[in-house]
Amino acid sequence: METNLILEGFKFMVLGMGTVFMFLIVLIFMMNMMSKIVHKYFPEPQVDINPPVANKQDNKKVIAAITAAIAHHRQS
Amino acid sequence: MKAILLKLLALFMLFSINSAFANEHNAVAMEKASTHKEENYQSKPFSEMIEGFLESTGIVALVNPDPDELNAKGEKMSDFHKGLGRVIMIFVTFLLFWLAIAKGFEPLLLLPIAFGGLLANIPVAGIAGEHGFLGVIYNMGLSNEMFPIIIFMGVGAMTDFGPLLSNPKTALLGGAAQFGIFGTLVGAVALSQAGFVDFTLQQASAISIIGGADGPTSIFIATKLAPELLGAIAVASYSYMAMVPIIQPPIMKALTTEEERKIKMTTLRHVSRLEKLVFPILVLLLAILVLPESTPLIGAFMFGNFLKESGVVERLNDTLQNALINIVTIFLGLGVGSKLAADQFLVPDTMFIMVLGIVAFSVGTAAGVLMAKLMNLFPGHKINPLIGSAGVSAVPMAARVSNKVGMEYDRSNMLLMHAMGPNVAGVIGSAVAAGVLISLFQ
Repeated sequence: METNLILEGFKFMVLGMGTVFMFLIVLIFMMNMMSKIVHKYFPEPQVDINPPVANKQDNKKVIAAITAAIAHHRQS
Repeated sequence: MKAILLKLLALFMLFSINSAFANEHNAVAMEKASTHKEENYQSKPFSEMIEGFLESTGIVALVNPDPDELNAKGEKMSDFHKGLGRVIMIFVTFLLFWLAIAKGFEPLLLLPIAFGGLLANIPVAGIAGEHGFLGVIYNMGLSNEMFPIIIFMGVGAMTDFGPLLSNPKTALLGGAAQFGIFGTLVGAVALSQAGFVDFTLQQASAISIIGGADGPTSIFIATKLAPELLGAIAVASYSYMAMVPIIQPPIMKALTTEEERKIKMTTLRHVSRLEKLVFPILVLLLAILVLPESTPLIGAFMFGNFLKESGVVERLNDTLQNALINIVTIFLGLGVGSKLAADQFLVPDTMFIMVLGIVAFSVGTAAGVLMAKLMNLFPGHKINPLIGSAGVSAVPMAARVSNKVGMEYDRSNMLLMHAMGPNVAGVIGSAVAAGVLISLFQ
């Protein structure tokens, strides 16, 4: 009866740590799999590429405006 | 089948006895009330009034306690717990005030707990009793494990699983740190085996969950498995959580070499919104399949997180993160404080709980660091072992500690986001550990 208690404690430990690790290991696999699926089939719209294009166009307009302004200034 | 039927029958009988008892109680109360009305107010000589008033003061109640006074559970108390014990507990709550205000130890919870403790130790008023307001708060949301669950929703809404998703294997560190729970469980039963204390397996489990470094989980388990130890467990849990910056660094430094502490980790990759949205459902599904006992905690946690990541219920998310968690924190603190009554706190068990609690924290920290070192033996990206200590939940304090210790050795080494991975995995890990403990006692 007396020795039982510590033995029980060890049983709890093995079962508990086993479950925690198993849970997390399966979770890691699921996370990796999920990431692959998401990246393959549902890639995020590439927001990073569009703005620079818009910027370039904007820049061109700005440059044109500045050039025009300078030209105008020189003329006058 | 037969056993279930028997249990149902027993439950039914218990209820009927209870209700009969309650009826009797009501009848007595009614009788009392009616006689009271008939008596009305009787004029008394002034000297008698003064005498009667003096006898009802707190000083008299503390020095010369009422022999028939009962505690919150309706049991008789010793004279020590009615007199000097209360005075000592009031000073203990002052100490907690000081820790919370001057030292900044988790003031959000420690202050309500300490003030609840102060109120619970007032003689005569019986604030922590069945009909006192602390008792009502306790029965409203603590004895049925409601408040910790709501807190968990709020914590879920505040949690960002991004760092974990971008480096999933750090979840193992959060698992290893749960060794603090089960190591301490063995320690607690060994102590009672050696005859120092008399902890049952339930009580030992409730104490060891302090090693999960997760306040709501500790309270959840304590109310389920050992409500009589709730006060000490909650106070130990929250005060050690606040002491993480003091407890952890020496252990982390002792177990690592200088080179290991300087390891730089690869930058975290970007995590898409869809990944973050799917993750809470993924964890919950896994919990449902593996360990349904853990789903109250994990379910609430993931509910909060799902609301946040969905991005379409900003109002609910905001309420969970702010208004709701604040309100419930007040109630939770006061309810736990009601368990700081002298007759429940000033017992030898409390001292052992405090000691076992700090052992649990230290073992968890060490296990996390050692696990990181073990993982570095395998090929792949190296892990800085300092983030292993963050596996003991205590979000986000433990992660900040990892970052701070790392910066001491290399100013440019930012570990905070890397440490958040094991940190949030630790929350999941301790909820799973809690589920295992509950399922073992079913």
